[in-house]
Amino acid sequence: MNPRIARQRKRIVAGLIGLGLIAFSERSAGLKIELPVETEVFKPGPNADIANAQCLICHSTEYVTTQPPQARAFWKNSVLKMQDKYGAPIAADQVEALADYLVRHYGRETSTNSAVSRVASPESLPAKPAEPLDGARLAARYACQSCHQPKVRLIGPAFQQIAIKYASDATAAEKIAQQITKGGSGKWGPIPMPPFVSITHDEIQVLADWILGQK
Amino acid sequence: MLFQRGSTRRRFLQDAGLLAGGLVTAASVSARGDETVSLPFENGVRPLVRYPQKRPLIRLTTRPPQLETPFSAFNEGILTPNDAFFVRYHLSESPPMEVDADMFRVTLSGRLNRPISLGLAELKSNFEPFEIVAVNQCSGNGRGLMKPRVGGGQMGNGAMGNARWRGVRLRDVLNRAGVAAGARQVTFNGLDQPAIEKTPDFVKALDLDHALDGEVMLAYAMNGEDLPMLNGYPLRLVVPGYFGTYWVKHVHEITVVDDVFKGYWMATAYRIPNTPGSCVEPGTSAKSTVPINRFNIRSFITSLEDGARIKAGVETRVRGIAFDGGLGIAEVLFASDGGRSWRAARLGEDLGKYSFREWTISFTASEAGSMDLRCRATNRIGESQPLDPLWNPAGYMRNVVESVKVIVV
Repeated sequence: MNPRIARQRKRIVAGLIGLGLIAFSERSAGLKIELPVETEVFKPGPNADIANAQCLICHSTEYVTTQPPQARAFWKNSVLKMQDKYGAPIAADQVEALADYLVRHYGRETSTNSAVSRVASPESLPAKPAEPLDGARLAARYACQSCHQPKVRLIGPAFQQIAIKYASDATAAEKIAQQITKGGSGKWGPIPMPPFVSITHDEIQVLADWILGQK
Repeated sequence: MLFQRGSTRRRFLQDAGLLAGGLVTAASVSARGDETVSLPFENGVRPLVRYPQKRPLIRLTTRPPQLETPFSAFNEGILTPNDAFFVRYHLSESPPMEVDADMFRVTLSGRLNRPISLGLAELKSNFEPFEIVAVNQCSGNGRGLMKPRVGGGQMGNGAMGNARWRGVRLRDVLNRAGVAAGARQVTFNGLDQPAIEKTPDFVKALDLDHALDGEVMLAYAMNGEDLPMLNGYPLRLVVPGYFGTYWVKHVHEITVVDDVFKGYWMATAYRIPNTPGSCVEPGTSAKSTVPINRFNIRSFITSLEDGARIKAGVETRVRGIAFDGGLGIAEVLFASDGGRSWRAARLGEDLGKYSFREWTISFTASEAGSMDLRCRATNRIGESQPLDPLWNPAGYMRNVVESVKVIVV
């Protein structure tokens, strides 16, 4: 093959791989691909954290955003179906809050919709200053385990993997804090982490220290 | 792999789908989702996005990927190009990001006399090759057009495609393993996986008789090439005449069972009302249901889309496609007046009873204005398409006579 064409071809392929469009395996037989990166998170608003933490475990936002305008009953039934049939780890006290969020932002609110959430999303839980902040409890409250397990990679890296990666990094806690507040993608795989904007500064420090201790 | 075939640069670009979409510039634009199409229903704006081995397709969802074929692709020929073929997955961890063709094996177990595991090379060399042209169509194709609207994947009519599948008969493979007495169904599992353990894995089942009918097959090629990853590389089930939910992609576990399989995707999902026409009164639920099965009959105009302009006093040639669940198309009628007067179209080449059947007809618009064009197919036992839409709660099996509104100038 003409070397110039060969180089050109190599550049085209490199470009396509860079775009996440196509990649063929190095081996003689087989196929390897990269998919376009998922970037969308749910619209900001009360209880968006629940939607980001729960719905994005299994699917991207369009499963919600492309639905026709539907009343609250549709969204509540969808939440219950995800919980019951698909095993989404939606806490019982998050069901109404999530339904409220979904109908407000992606549904059709009618007079029969009860728009007021009786319970509590993580961000509206009253702070309990008397109780010392505890990393494990915070991780549970913000459903970190939906995507991160202690030792096994799930959607995101295991807490242990994060701790090991940053073991000798003096700015580790800061980096983890950034990741939690701003979200991000690309470091560990194709599925982005949504931003968790409502976690307080103090809570994030406790969470970051707790994660770094999971070796 | 294109390289290893020593293909020319032009060939490579075609394979990568770049020539159709205006080379790399268009690709990068669409990769950002800047190009959109507007499907004809509320909240129907979708980005056109390029995926591996695909031209820009209408993206319904990012994870798992669901991509719809732009309808103009159906006017390119009877076979739907691989790079335009629709994509539908159910589970978060799909498709597999990498498959090693040398390591891949499909295992057959359960009620068999000699459980076996087969690699691709064994499938290709130890069994008689089998080819069939067959339509694959998503159960919910056209769901976005349902009235009243229902939840689920909101697609236009582009979640279908017709391909020449090559592989081996499932019957031959099952017979090699020897089906044991008492077997009742065969289940199929692919490499795709859920994000969390509690989500039911996507497993489908066919009755044993159906699995052994000599037409259900394990396909490793599509239109003369390896399956694209997003259509099931390296091996998928092909169930001619049946909805796409049964066409398990990346199939690697086949299990013969002695009962009716009760997995979620058979017993709860993909169910249709057990009524004539598989329909219920709009807005009501079904009293009893059965697993979705064969296609009902459909036809489409492919050469003209809504809003197209044609000239008065000049003959307009119309082309379209028709298909059904495997009885074969007997007749396609065409009307240019909203369905008041019908004329028979000319049927094109017959690629088999599971294929799209092309049809053509000409008409001349007499005066400027708008025209409502419709087509209606009938199969070999007289089944046809309803003039008014049927409805079911899950939005499956749309097959109403569709209408294309053109402007005469």
